Amino acid sequence: MNIAWYKDFDWLTVLIWVAITAFGLVGIYSATLGPVSEFLPAHIQENFAKQLTWVALSLVVVIVIQFTSPRSFQQLSYLFYFVALLLTASTIFIGIEVNGAKSWLDFGGIRFQTSEIMKIAVILAVANYLTSRRNIEAVNLKSAMVATSMILLPVVIIILQNDTGSALIFLPLIPVMLFLSGLPYGIALMMISPAIITYASIISWQYGVAATLFFTLVIYLLQKRPWLGITSLVTGLLLVVAVNVALTDILQPHQRNRIEAFVNPFQDPQGAGWNIIQAKTAISSGGIYGKGFMQGTQTQLRFLPEQWTDFIFCVIAEDFGLIGGGLAILALLLLLMRLLSNAVAMKTPFAQLVIVGVVTILFTHILVNLGSVMGIVPVIGVPLPFMSYGGSSFLANSIMLGVCLNLYFRQREMSPFA
Amino acid sequence: MIHPNSSRRLQTSLRIIQIIILAVFLLFLGRLVQLTVFEFDTYNPISERNSIRQETVNPSRGLIFDRNGVLLVENTPVFSIHVTPIDFNADNVPLLAYLMNIPEESVTNALQRARNFSWYRSSRMFSEVEFDVFSRIEENIWRLPGISHQIESKRVYPAGIRAAHVLGYLREVSDADFRSTNIYRLGDKAGRTGIERTYESYLRGETGAQLRRVNAFGQGIGPYSDGMMDRSPVRGANLQTTLDAELQRLAEKLMEGKVGSLVALDPNNGEVLALVSAPDFEISRLSGRVDRTYLSSVISDSTRPMFNRAIATRQPPGSTFKPMMGLVGLHTGLVTPQTTVFCNGGYVRGRLYRCTAIHGNQNLEEAIMNSCNTYFFHMMNRFANTIGLNEWHRYMQTMGLGRLNGIDIPSEQRGILPDSTQMDQIFGRGRWGLGDQINLGVGQGVVSATPLQMAIATAEIANGGYWVQPHVVRAIHHEYGEIEYANPTKTRVEWIQEKDLEPVRVGMRRAVTEGSGRFFANLQSVPTAGKTGTAQNPHGRDHGWFIAYAPYDDPQIAIAVIIENGGFGSVSAAPIASLLIEQYMNGEVRRQNLLRDMLNFVPRESTIQR
Repeated sequence: MNIAWYKDFDWLTVLIWVAITAFGLVGIYSATLGPVSEFLPAHIQENFAKQLTWVALSLVVVIVIQFTSPRSFQQLSYLFYFVALLLTASTIFIGIEVNGAKSWLDFGGIRFQTSEIMKIAVILAVANYLTSRRNIEAVNLKSAMVATSMILLPVVIIILQNDTGSALIFLPLIPVMLFLSGLPYGIALMMISPAIITYASIISWQYGVAATLFFTLVIYLLQKRPWLGITSLVTGLLLVVAVNVALTDILQPHQRNRIEAFVNPFQDPQGAGWNIIQAKTAISSGGIYGKGFMQGTQTQLRFLPEQWTDFIFCVIAEDFGLIGGGLAILALLLLLMRLLSNAVAMKTPFAQLVIVGVVTILFTHILVNLGSVMGIVPVIGVPLPFMSYGGSSFLANSIMLGVCLNLYFRQREMSPFA
Repeated sequence: MIHPNSSRRLQTSLRIIQIIILAVFLLFLGRLVQLTVFEFDTYNPISERNSIRQETVNPSRGLIFDRNGVLLVENTPVFSIHVTPIDFNADNVPLLAYLMNIPEESVTNALQRARNFSWYRSSRMFSEVEFDVFSRIEENIWRLPGISHQIESKRVYPAGIRAAHVLGYLREVSDADFRSTNIYRLGDKAGRTGIERTYESYLRGETGAQLRRVNAFGQGIGPYSDGMMDRSPVRGANLQTTLDAELQRLAEKLMEGKVGSLVALDPNNGEVLALVSAPDFEISRLSGRVDRTYLSSVISDSTRPMFNRAIATRQPPGSTFKPMMGLVGLHTGLVTPQTTVFCNGGYVRGRLYRCTAIHGNQNLEEAIMNSCNTYFFHMMNRFANTIGLNEWHRYMQTMGLGRLNGIDIPSEQRGILPDSTQMDQIFGRGRWGLGDQINLGVGQGVVSATPLQMAIATAEIANGGYWVQPHVVRAIHHEYGEIEYANPTKTRVEWIQEKDLEPVRVGMRRAVTEGSGRFFANLQSVPTAGKTGTAQNPHGRDHGWFIAYAPYDDPQIAIAVIIENGGFGSVSAAPIASLLIEQYMNGEVRRQNLLRDMLNFVPRESTIQR
């Protein structure tokens, strides 16, 4: 570390981190310690204090991370990966079940969700793998397969934990990380397209077909390979059919309800549509200026389940309206943009890949969470990074951020010319 | 490690990712604007509906006091369970039945009743549930959407008097009642009898509305906008009655175990001081949720406890009728105070009309004192022959006999006071004669009176010939201090003159000091005037009557008592009336022995006619 280290440190990111965390804490306070919180169970009323403790702990961890050499991330990445994998796998046998997902480990009373730490481990390991070999440029099918497997392995384990929502978060890493390390645009697009085609098909099959045709055209234009276009077309159409078959025949009624509720929540306002209606109502009724701190009726009157976790944005938007909700979204956007521009400015591919991986994970969380509460995607329970109540999530996200800060702060040590 | 040209590609890729993220965030911001600005009017009402519930606030029913401000009727909280059928899931019937500890069938029936009323409005399912049931429901209210609970009130009677026939009880309004009016909700209680019924519209008050914030589980968690939009209920008006709690309590005690009734009035204004009909019933067990076994036992009782004998009985007044006859005789000139009739133990007119004794020469005063039948047979005979039954009917009716006197308690009966038309109806045209009329002179035959009517007639003798409207409620105290006073009429019975009253009064006074009342009714402390009566009863023991007023020179109380099957009025009814006069005038009963005897009084078979 040189003398003027503070000039190299990314203070802006820290500032944004503080701002987002503050939004989250205010929301948690409002949701759990409001004027009628005596109707909440006692352990819920302690959530604010607990979250504050986790924030303090995370701050310490982030600071400690700054003292490690960035090279050690690269060197220890596989070890991390295997340890994290073991921990995650162990929950299947010795884990604690919370809300139906057996994804928690108990360390003397402190519960930790192992899939959270898996995220940074996967990013580091895959980034290390993709940058440590010559000519990975994902045209090399074998290395692409290996990288993909490294990501899919924890996904399978987490699905076995019965925590599909958390598992889905990993999937976008595959196209993004491969794309960054040389996967052609068309192929990357082809890997992303199924998600979008599925989304469109859920709304209506016509949209699904339109999306398929659009992607086929773009992929063909990018790669100029007929077989790729045909594959894309066939895959896309099969997907549209598959989604419709799944919706009518395969899915369990409660899963189907959830998807139908997304398309038309008012079909079953008391059941599957409840969360969507109440979330939209909470956000909408906040209006431009909001109802005021701890004045949001939807929040205070508990029309949303567990609003201090996945529905925290509703709390913020209801209390502080368009202005507060908009600022929260802008802060998140600013964080991602800042991280990405750091990546652009850097010279080491490993660091760039790690940062993009972190951004991908955070972005996926934000996309699914905000999409759910604003009725853009079906409700999938994932937390909003740095805002939702949840200690392990907050700590894991902070570690990811700490690693990114470290890689930027001490990038010279990583330079091949250093 | 990486090709130099791939570095540039990496930069481009990062830019693409930035653009994608930016696009998605713009979508989110756009969506946020759409929701908060453009769809505000769609969703804000949902949020308001979500958080506000209108609850009915029942006004507290007016209290009832006695003439001295003693609290007779007040309210105590009871708990009730309500249902809004549209929100209630029928699958929860077993759960509710389990919590209430009642068969599912009862829950289903109650639910059906509520549905018949309205699917969307809350109605009462169960009233007066036990507190532990209530708290069990409250704990589980989140499992029972559509169910709510309320604290309501129930009548209690703290003064230790029953006054069942005066106060009356409350019952849930009938389907017809609440459909025809807009003031009741299903399960509301309204006065069914007594002054609770007569003054229902005053006692009830006005229902209020309270806006409450509720959470997603329907739990009320506080007032909405600090209650500024609430409509507060208007408390029902309090009633000040004319009853004297002490007197009423003693009267009830004295009448316990007997069949009969009594009415005590203030002769100057018609205020009812005490009114008892025995046997009575416990209103507290009939107010509100009906104790069905008790109700059926009351209804099936052959002595008819629900029947308000004091204002509706149809018993011949017997000799207590004689003072009124005396007034009529004097007014019509059939007799003068000096006119004497020789009593030889009976009166012969076609047949023998028996007297109780051989009284010898009797003037009016003596005839009343000795209760000489011969005198009044003679008088009635002359009246029927020279003036006619219809005039007699008119005179008696203006005194308040044989007609409704308008007391403010429902189900008053006029009784029987015949004119020629009625005689025709009773016996058939032309099939009644002098014999049927002579009997009327001594209050026998086809004539009846209630203690209320007799008390009014007695009051007229006492107050100088004024008919006073009997009433139980003296004043209505509205919530904001406004007081509405009862305005009972007091009209002069124009044919009664002071000079005619004098011999009658003296006769009644002497009846107490020298006549049949001398044993139990002759109070040393309060000069009393009265008249006993023993009404013939073809079905069993005679009925004992007593009418009285006191003090003799400044009447404060007029009283009429009947003890059915009590035998002689002088030993059954007279001591009761006398004890009540003592209580009312002195504030205490000194003749404890007499009191004890009367509490244990068992009517005897009478052996002598009249």
